[in-house]
Amino acid sequence: MAGSFGFAALGSGADALASTARTRVRYWNLFSGGDGSNMIAMLDAFRKAHPDIAVKDSTLQWGNPFYTKLAMAAAGNRAPDLGVMHIGRVAGFAPGRLLDAWDTGLLAKYGLRESDYNPKLWQRGVVDGKLYALPLDVHVQLCFYRKDVLRKAGLLGADDRIVPVTSVDDWFGVLKEARKATKKGLQTIGLWINDQNFQWWFFVAFYTQLGGTWFDDAKTEVTFDTDKATQVLEFLRRHVTDGYANPAMGSVNAEQFINGAPFAWEGNWSVPVYSGAKLEYGAIPLPPVFGTRATHAESHSFVLPHQSDRGGATDEAAHQLAAYVVTHAQQWAAGGHIPAYLPTLSTPAYQKLSPQNEYVSAMNHQANEPKVWFAGSTGILAQRVGPIVVSSTVGSAKPDAAAGRMKKELATLLAMKNPMDGKTAAQGGTAA
Amino acid sequence: MTTAETVLAPARARTAAASATLRRRQGFQHGGWFVAPFLALFALFVVWPLLRGVYLSLTDANITGAGANFIGLDNYREALKDPLMWDALGHSAYFTLLVVPCITVLAFLLAMLAHHIERGKWLWRLCFFAPFLLPSTVAGNLWQWLFNPGTGMINYVFGGDTPWLTDKSYAMLAIVIETLWWTVGFSFLLYLAALQSIPAHLYEAAKLDGANAWHRMVHITLPMLRNITGLVIALQILASLQVFDQAVVMMDFGPGPESSTRTFVQYTLEEGFTSYRVGYASAISIIFFVIIAAVALARMWLLRNRTEEATR
Repeated sequence: MAGSFGFAALGSGADALASTARTRVRYWNLFSGGDGSNMIAMLDAFRKAHPDIAVKDSTLQWGNPFYTKLAMAAAGNRAPDLGVMHIGRVAGFAPGRLLDAWDTGLLAKYGLRESDYNPKLWQRGVVDGKLYALPLDVHVQLCFYRKDVLRKAGLLGADDRIVPVTSVDDWFGVLKEARKATKKGLQTIGLWINDQNFQWWFFVAFYTQLGGTWFDDAKTEVTFDTDKATQVLEFLRRHVTDGYANPAMGSVNAEQFINGAPFAWEGNWSVPVYSGAKLEYGAIPLPPVFGTRATHAESHSFVLPHQSDRGGATDEAAHQLAAYVVTHAQQWAAGGHIPAYLPTLSTPAYQKLSPQNEYVSAMNHQANEPKVWFAGSTGILAQRVGPIVVSSTVGSAKPDAAAGRMKKELATLLAMKNPMDGKTAAQGGTAA
Repeated sequence: MTTAETVLAPARARTAAASATLRRRQGFQHGGWFVAPFLALFALFVVWPLLRGVYLSLTDANITGAGANFIGLDNYREALKDPLMWDALGHSAYFTLLVVPCITVLAFLLAMLAHHIERGKWLWRLCFFAPFLLPSTVAGNLWQWLFNPGTGMINYVFGGDTPWLTDKSYAMLAIVIETLWWTVGFSFLLYLAALQSIPAHLYEAAKLDGANAWHRMVHITLPMLRNITGLVIALQILASLQVFDQAVVMMDFGPGPESSTRTFVQYTLEEGFTSYRVGYASAISIIFFVIIAAVALARMWLLRNRTEEATR
């Protein structure tokens, strides 16, 4: 309480100072660590290029507290001029009431067009025909591998990259060889077997590889395929039963990998960690063991939190800042994320980045959660279904039973009303 | 006593009583102003939120506060059928069942130790009480490191690679162990104070009568500590049912392996601030309030019976 009063007081004081000379953009983001310093560097570059615009950025704690704060600020009409969200969360964030739509004409004025994006990614930000989320990047789940260990195991090709894997048998063959070259006391692969978020992300990836679907277009029926789901759950479980993933080491994949475990499945945000540790490693999208390529992808995107009087110079400056950051995201790529602005990806500078150049193709093979109000990074869907995936992977539930429970949970969620507007996914405009 | 005094006594008593009433009334008037600031804050931050919570629990309010509809008892009806709520309640109750007996016995033993040890008394007291001074986040993080399966001290000392924080059969146990270490100091202090207030002449008399150390413990120390034990148990039950901070810190703000450490408070928070269902979250917190109040009343009732029996 006291904190928010203080914050409000600070804000208005600074407002009065800034409004005399320059346009001021208040920008809330959730980037800490390496992402945080990359973002600040990009903002500083913007400030240098546009001295007429003052950027007041605030970094808030990642995760649900951020979304709560953003929602309450928007509801109380004290929202910042620009914010950041995971794109999967946008549908549940009452577009139109808590979020304002982007003016694509203004974005084009500052050099950013729909054609600069992967069309599917752009569509993920569109609700009811309007753009509510402007993607900055996609961040994907990757298969990290130690080149030094795999070389010993004879699993590196002539290009010094891991041999291609295109089936479940291939994959377990690779693990078998890799284990022989692994130091004692280390697991062969870390895949966060006890973590409901990671296990859910991996499930989404492989389920998508199998061509599985979630709901029908009208969002009235669950089309979840329990046979396919069982196949995926059995695949994940086998890493444990065959002894490649040590159940005790579920939470310390990164330490094990740095110490010499040959594989770790992690988000691309681990790139700066492993590069910082000076490892000889590579990273590919999760292997296409079920034939088609697909790996889980979420996306950081810019949003315009709802302001009843949005418009004018401040709003235009928010558009300008967002367009600038999206189109100048070379630095962002160093954090492991794949920049959403396609022209960045074909620059020689980006193509020289390793291991980014090894997984940039993931942009075209994204496995996403369904576009419903309860989905998105650490959202209700992951919270309800993730633990079921974990229960199968760690062995406390049989894969087919777990698949049945997942389907039941999906039906429950589909019948649930979005607390923001009192509508189910079928009734809601947010289903798009 | 003389006759005159006997006659005068009732009259004197009457004036004394009257002036006492007067004093009390004046005292209330003055005291009323002294407690007014407290009452105002109490009303603003306890009474009003409580009433508001009851009202919200009858609506489908979301976090934005806009467009809430009155829906009667629907939230309560849903809650009673909500398996996640019952799971969370079960986790909090399980935690309480483990923590309360352990902490009571441990606090007593540590107090006995600190009370009877002759040398370096201050050091023992400091050691046993110091963890209680740590913020919950510090204590939680510390034990997260200690429980680390690969590099943590617990597995290093005891061998093996027990997945303390990532297996549902150990996760709650790990939180219980952390809680014991972290909070036993408070109950320890209560016991130590009670031990020091037992009159020494009781022990001396018992010794003269030939009672050995065991007899003195069973027939003097334990009975004299009965009241403080009641207090320790009561406070621990109430605190343990509301377990939240150390659990979420040790589980990285998640619900633990296979949601096995999601406590009632955590579930309420998730419903309100992750699912944005403030109305529903209010309803389940009211349910929790009723449960805790019932537990507290039941304990008082049980204890009252026992004191009556003792005096009879």
